[in-house]
Amino acid sequence: MHLIGVDVGGTFTDIVLFDTATGTSVIHKVATTPDDPSRGVVEGILAICAANGLAPAQVANVRHGTTVATNAVLEHDGAVAGLITTGGYRDIIHIGRHQRPQHYSIRQEIPWQDRALVKRRHRIDVPERLVPPKGEVLVPLDEEAVREAARTLGAMGVEAIAIGFLFSYLNPVHEKRAKEIVAEELPGVFVTTSAEVSPQFREFERFTTAAMNAFIGPKVKTYISRLEARLAENGLDAHLHVMTSAGGVATPAMIAEKPVLTLLSGPAAGVLGGALTGAASGRDKLITFDVGGTSADIALVVEGAFLEASARDTAIGGFPVMVPMIDIATIGAGGGSIAHTDAGGAFKVGPRSAGARPGPAAYGHGGTEPTVTDANVVLGRLDPDNFLGGAMALDAEAATRAVAGLAQKLGLDTEAAAGGIVTLINANMANAILSRTVQRGIDPREFALVAFGGAGPLHGAEVAAQLDIPVVIVPPHPGITSAVGLLTTDLRYDAVRTAFQLSSALDIPWLNATLDAMAGEIAAQFEADGILPADVSFARSGDLRYAGQGYELKIPLPAAALDDAAVAAVLDEFHARHRTEYGHSFEGTPVEIVNVKVSGSAKVPAIQTSEPAPAAPGPLAEAEVARRRCVFRTADGLVGAPTPFLRRDRLPLDTPFEGPAIVLQTDTTTVVPPGWSAVQEAAGNLVLTKG
Amino acid sequence: MTIDPVTASVIHGALETITIEMGHKLMRMAHSSIIRESEDFGAAIVDAAGDGLAESPQSTPLQSGPIPGYIRGMHKILAARGESVGPDDVIMHNDPYTGGSHGPDVAFIVPVVVDGAIVAYSATTAHHLDIGASSPGSCGIVDAVDAYAEGLQFKAIKVVEDGKKNAMVWHMLRDNIRAPDLVVGDIEAQIAASRIGARRVEALIARHGLAKFEAACAALKDRAEAMMRAAIEKVPDGTYRAETKIDGFEGDPERSELPLVVTITVAGDALTVDLEGTAPQVPDRPINMPYEGTVDIAIWLTIRSILLDTAVEGHIPVNAGLVRPITIKAPKGCLANPIFPAPTIARFAPGNQLADTVMKALSQAVPGRVSAGIGNLKVIAFSGLSGETHWVHMEIFEGSYGGRDGMDGMDAVDTLFANTRNNPIEDIESHLPLRVSRYELRRESGGAGKWRGGLGAVREFEFLADGGFAIEGEGHVFRPWGFAGGAQGLPAAVTAHRRDGSTASLPSKVPYGIAKTGDRFVMTGPIGGGYGEAAARDPQRVAEDVKDGYLSVADARRTYRVALTPTGEIDAAETAALRRA
Repeated sequence: MHLIGVDVGGTFTDIVLFDTATGTSVIHKVATTPDDPSRGVVEGILAICAANGLAPAQVANVRHGTTVATNAVLEHDGAVAGLITTGGYRDIIHIGRHQRPQHYSIRQEIPWQDRALVKRRHRIDVPERLVPPKGEVLVPLDEEAVREAARTLGAMGVEAIAIGFLFSYLNPVHEKRAKEIVAEELPGVFVTTSAEVSPQFREFERFTTAAMNAFIGPKVKTYISRLEARLAENGLDAHLHVMTSAGGVATPAMIAEKPVLTLLSGPAAGVLGGALTGAASGRDKLITFDVGGTSADIALVVEGAFLEASARDTAIGGFPVMVPMIDIATIGAGGGSIAHTDAGGAFKVGPRSAGARPGPAAYGHGGTEPTVTDANVVLGRLDPDNFLGGAMALDAEAATRAVAGLAQKLGLDTEAAAGGIVTLINANMANAILSRTVQRGIDPREFALVAFGGAGPLHGAEVAAQLDIPVVIVPPHPGITSAVGLLTTDLRYDAVRTAFQLSSALDIPWLNATLDAMAGEIAAQFEADGILPADVSFARSGDLRYAGQGYELKIPLPAAALDDAAVAAVLDEFHARHRTEYGHSFEGTPVEIVNVKVSGSAKVPAIQTSEPAPAAPGPLAEAEVARRRCVFRTADGLVGAPTPFLRRDRLPLDTPFEGPAIVLQTDTTTVVPPGWSAVQEAAGNLVLTKG
Repeated sequence: MTIDPVTASVIHGALETITIEMGHKLMRMAHSSIIRESEDFGAAIVDAAGDGLAESPQSTPLQSGPIPGYIRGMHKILAARGESVGPDDVIMHNDPYTGGSHGPDVAFIVPVVVDGAIVAYSATTAHHLDIGASSPGSCGIVDAVDAYAEGLQFKAIKVVEDGKKNAMVWHMLRDNIRAPDLVVGDIEAQIAASRIGARRVEALIARHGLAKFEAACAALKDRAEAMMRAAIEKVPDGTYRAETKIDGFEGDPERSELPLVVTITVAGDALTVDLEGTAPQVPDRPINMPYEGTVDIAIWLTIRSILLDTAVEGHIPVNAGLVRPITIKAPKGCLANPIFPAPTIARFAPGNQLADTVMKALSQAVPGRVSAGIGNLKVIAFSGLSGETHWVHMEIFEGSYGGRDGMDGMDAVDTLFANTRNNPIEDIESHLPLRVSRYELRRESGGAGKWRGGLGAVREFEFLADGGFAIEGEGHVFRPWGFAGGAQGLPAAVTAHRRDGSTASLPSKVPYGIAKTGDRFVMTGPIGGGYGEAAARDPQRVAEDVKDGYLSVADARRTYRVALTPTGEIDAAETAALRRA
């Protein structure tokens, strides 16, 4: 069986073809076609098929990571969207939490006011009101008002409508009825409801999630149908699945309805690719470290499982989005991060980036500000003649000039300034990892760092050293880890309901009935996708907090029905998690079950391991293409040492070598610092070990 | 010892990471919504001398800023008593006359210890739900006659001594505070977060050595100072005076319409803020502002929000160096420098008005960097009994910003020295006998200008059970100031609609009173001042405002001199004629 993973990035569309019969994979890259990314996707698939003598019809599965939704949000280029909401609450998505994004700023913008997803003229409130605890009807839905609102919005040229009513997560009946009415009045207009996309309390966040779904809905729906048509036209009748931010894939129909699920599709696939990489080296506690030109994405994988972000922490483009997402920390640190002195003269690196244009000074596109890449050139780690397999020549003089300018301001020599830039960017990245590990009671020393992206392997070992992480793993193709990750996913659906139940007065029958109902809905969805019940597995969990708290911790619930003993065990687990996470617990305080959740996943054919490395029986000396002076920070300060530059594809297998060394390949450069050793494993990974 | 710039920045980054962790943990562990939703808490690392080194970016400005003052105040009191801090002590402090911001903002201070010596402090502050005052809740105590009526005063009290919990103090706390489970839960969360900070700083020092750590701290303060001096240097030298008035207690001739006067003198790279001319203290009502803990913070944060605006300048390190170039003076015995035991618990809204007055003074010097007058805030305590236990809910009501050069004012947000969050309606109604029966933007237009003032919000609360209600706010009487020809904004208002059918307009300060089931309170937020002449506003923006329902066609014509067709399009010829007239 042939599987294809295709990940669309800003510049390149990466394609991986995996043959389950032989266990081998090949990769391909084409330029992304921003006007209609489906063109590049299909061109790339056809090209990789042709190059490997495969007829398009032989491809069984296509897994796709897309940024169509993400770009629509970040570029604020979505549909003209409308909102129908509860009477008296027209401006919930405008007022937000009444907090300014920045404390100390007069001239700041507020995303939800300055770049509203739904303009006020397109927000219409209608009589209706539900109340807790069960969503009882206080004011019945004024159906005529909904009809009138739909007509008004239709006349204003609105292309998508979100319906957001208070307490709809307790009782979606009004939202459902309003949706029917809108669909009757405005056939063909994209309609979504807040309880459909995120049936959880917190009205600003839920309405915003629904509004965002409407804002990006038409665009994503069009894209998906265009992609399906284009695949069919080209003889590709493979099953298409699209990556979600939660680390699973969903059907095109599901994504067309809830495009908001795909906002972090690319980074999520990267985490999965990192997990696969770790597994190939027998590691299941991993920190994935994906560093590109402008940012670094950091996530944790424990025993093959990803951490899910808390619903209060998930946001995109400054807007809260309450949908399941892998917990990924993104910081502004990458190869293009600019080093500078702030107004007080302090030495800083990032978060501003030179991006791809003008890019680092060394790229020779006119950049003059010193970047992390330029510092690496000055320190000798990036070989101007062998960057990206020689595909791009670096201007070492320009890099040196840029760094020298900063060095003068700092009163340092050029090499010391370059060493400082690398040290500071590494410290920034190490701090981000600390906040995800040590600060949450997790010891990073038990983990391996999986370094990928163009700049991850360049910094991985030095960042790991700051955190006493002993092992760094670099996958075979660090530049296409997301595309590979797509081929490891399960089909996955998530359901959530707000419960608000106190441990002192639990309604256990309600909890069981609700959990069963959610599992039933997911099972029905799988059935609609043609998945056999036997292939589906479910995981139940709850978001728990102490009474009075506002933040929850996700605790697993047993698969079987809850009873008193099971509840007691869940509460014990919550106390323990709270202690680990925060360093304290409140054993005497009642616990509140805020949400209950069910996620269902179904195995779909997956890539087995990373690609094995080609056998390279020659000695290490034959891999060496150059030997130059490189500078490293050691206990004695910055020290220059003659350093071999080795071609990765010529490294002898399973033969360790000592740092310092620089390993070259077409999509990245790996630094093996002094005091580290490295080995190219036959299974495909390059593994760096401290000491 | 000199320190290289790289190590200094590495240590600085580590300190910021530590304060982020403290804030993150405190807000996630906290039990009451005033901390975890409103984010009315602070976390900071302070050196042994009481200089701030780093503060939590999540905290509201009025909480972290005062922490160094709490440390200095604690030292002062301990010294006066002939006592000292032990390495395994945890100290509780809230005294507004020695660094405390006001009574409800209680600090828990944990020493950072290296080789048995205290080298720094890790501390958190948070606004507590109740502090044992005369009526439920720790806001709206607007009738407190002196510092003793405001609730418990903690002057450097060791809640943990030599590593042992001082049980008697804890018993007294529980016995004198309403909703003790929530409040004590919050206190435990604060101590846990402060301890984490202390342990992390100790590990950081172990990694770099104390000498290097201290040199790095000295360098980071020097750099922040240089940054502020460079910013002040760019402001034209001169003296800039502004005056605004607070409502005080409406209808009470001796306690209302009180002036706040700010005179800023810029000379080179230094700046002096003199509050001479500000009204005398009100000896028996709690709207006096602690000089250290409220007044200093209001002044510093307004200056930095304008001169080192993070939207313009990017990340700004926060430490003691930042305020070195700023000198503050206030006559002893004025509202901004009261004499003990004048009460201070309700200093929130006057303090924010002081911040606004500082901005008004600076508007003359740096007109492109300010907003026109802000709409002030209020906080309301809702309370009641369920059996023998109190429930208390405090909600902060948003204001709005004035127009800015090239930008309209921010709508319905906290202003200047506060930046808290509202509580979700779906959370409030699920947990309390309250209904939020309306929450939307105010419908009137106001604050007209080339760049108009931000709109306030209207929020309505209904009691679903009998309870109590107290208000502490400002801005019912005076309209936010317009700038450069912009119109004044509109004041805030509160109306009570009682179950018996009676309606009353309430002042900005209402002491605790009874609310019956079915009573409704409508809070109307202020509209910020306009910036520049209304007739200079881009007609396209006026037309957009009409489409969005911010402005009527008649107002567009009358106020902005823009003529619109019945379909809302601009009638260019008539608009030109109107604007010529």
